[in-house]
Amino acid sequence: MRAQFVLQEIWIGLRRNLTMTIALVVTVAIAMALFGTGVLLKMQVDKSNNYWSDKVEVSIYLCNKMSANPSCHKAEPTQGEKDQIEAQLKAMPQVADVTAETQQQAFQRARERFKDTPGFSDTIQVGDIPDSFRVKLKNPKEYQAVVAQMQGRQGVDQVINERAILEKFFKILGGLQWAAMIIAAIQVVAAVLLVANTIRLSAFNRRRETGIMRLVGASNLYIQLPFVLEGAIAGLIGGIFAAVLLGFSKVFLLGRLQQNLQFATSLGWLDVIQVIVFAMCFGVVLCALASFLTLRRYLKI
Amino acid sequence: MIHFDNVTKVYSHQSRPALQGVNVAVEKGEFVFLVGPSGSGKSTFLRLILKEERPTQGGIHVAGKDLSKLTNWKIPHLRRRIGCVFQDFRLLPNKTVNENVAFALEVIGKPRRFIRKVVPEVIDLVGLEGKSHRMPDELSGGEQQRVAIARAFVNRPMVLLADEPTGNIDPATSIGIMKVLDRINRTGTTVVMATHDAAIVDAFRKRVVELEDGRVVRDQSRGVYGQAYGGV
Ligand SMILES: Nc1ncnc2c1ncn2[C@@H]1O[C@H](COP(=O)(O)OP(=O)(O)OP(=O)(O)O)[C@@H](O)[C@H]1O
Ligand SMILES: [Mg+2]
Repeated sequence: MRAQFVLQEIWIGLRRNLTMTIALVVTVAIAMALFGTGVLLKMQVDKSNNYWSDKVEVSIYLCNKMSANPSCHKAEPTQGEKDQIEAQLKAMPQVADVTAETQQQAFQRARERFKDTPGFSDTIQVGDIPDSFRVKLKNPKEYQAVVAQMQGRQGVDQVINERAILEKFFKILGGLQWAAMIIAAIQVVAAVLLVANTIRLSAFNRRRETGIMRLVGASNLYIQLPFVLEGAIAGLIGGIFAAVLLGFSKVFLLGRLQQNLQFATSLGWLDVIQVIVFAMCFGVVLCALASFLTLRRYLKI
Repeated sequence: MIHFDNVTKVYSHQSRPALQGVNVAVEKGEFVFLVGPSGSGKSTFLRLILKEERPTQGGIHVAGKDLSKLTNWKIPHLRRRIGCVFQDFRLLPNKTVNENVAFALEVIGKPRRFIRKVVPEVIDLVGLEGKSHRMPDELSGGEQQRVAIARAFVNRPMVLLADEPTGNIDPATSIGIMKVLDRINRTGTTVVMATHDAAIVDAFRKRVVELEDGRVVRDQSRGVYGQAYGGV
């Protein structure tokens, strides 16, 4: 196999249909970037889900002076009532662990958490967050019973199931992920059609050469390789652009998401690079395969 | 070298066969003119030898190989042993004489050293010495056909097929082309040439196979073009 010959043929082919090549590269880049973003979102969701699933709790906030709930009558429950609630929680079969958090502790925690946004942390006062019980469940999915028993109980202001909130949030992320994947799939179809068209044009432009190659007994590999590589290289260039776009995705989309939503888990660059490599390989293989299948129709053996 | 055994070829969507019950045997080193009116099946005969088409019935052997048993994978190897020349030359317009001839060897992966050695030899053989750096459009029709012959012969095939090689060339120049083909034939290469050129067939007095409506109607050694077509 003469590498120089093959490379020269590829270069000629790519240049001869420059506009098609550009359209192809752009389509592949968008397809792979969206596909990669979808995968990244999925990884983020899975990772966060794992992280959160053993940390989410049902929080039971007790009444205090600031409670808006009318059944609280703007009064804290007595120590006896608090002990009763705690005892009741501990007796439930679904409950693994109960910890009490006082207003003071909650205040400290909030200050700590929002220390990067001083304007906000300064306005927090003791009592903004009432006394609460944090309930760990044996199985996070069985929150229903706890919520049912605590909701509306004397001395209880609100029952917040963190899992339900997270689930809503994950659903949104999941939706985003699917949207990215579906658009990526459409782009993949467009890319395949563009490859088919580009290669068809290429085969037509080079029909003299390939005709002679066939006559003098060049092997099919030799005849087809320049075309397949032409597709593969267009795919690779698209993949490189996709890699850049995915870099942006990581910094701007996932980075922002982590910052704003206090994700404890963040996807590292290693994960992103894995996705990039996978997306690039996928792009190259897709284009090469589409070229090869197109050739079977347009290059007679 | 080439054996047609009761070969019939019917193209798809065509009711009339292009070839019908053809039995022809061409031995090694022979020179055969294939004559007959337009549409009689000459080109079809040549395409079957290259396995560009498959016979509808009958068997074809080339160089001892049964073409029906040849896998697609092996077809290129068959074609490397057969050279082809056409009426329309089929040169690459953006390559020089040298590059056009070398192309045939490059694409079958021959080493560069070998190519540099044999290409000038074959260019001399077809009588184009000194013109190896010309582009095809700087050559006369006769010279272009010599380039095409050089390309067909550069890999030293066992068989050379020529489909009306003098069809686009004036009679005087055609004689020169025929001399080149004769020279190639004398190296032991079998030559099968389809032609309408009565003067050439009559002048060369080689074996003549005449087709009519896809049937062999005459197979004559040292033959002439034939009465019906204005021959002797
Ligand atoms: N690819 C094809 N598909 C269908 N029919 C074909 C095809 N090629 C040739 N034919 C038919 O087969 C018959 C023989 O054609 P062929 O080209 O072999 O004739 P020929 O003797 O070479 O003619 P000419 O002297 O004009 O070149 C013709 O009737 C032609 O119409
Ligand atoms: Mg013909």
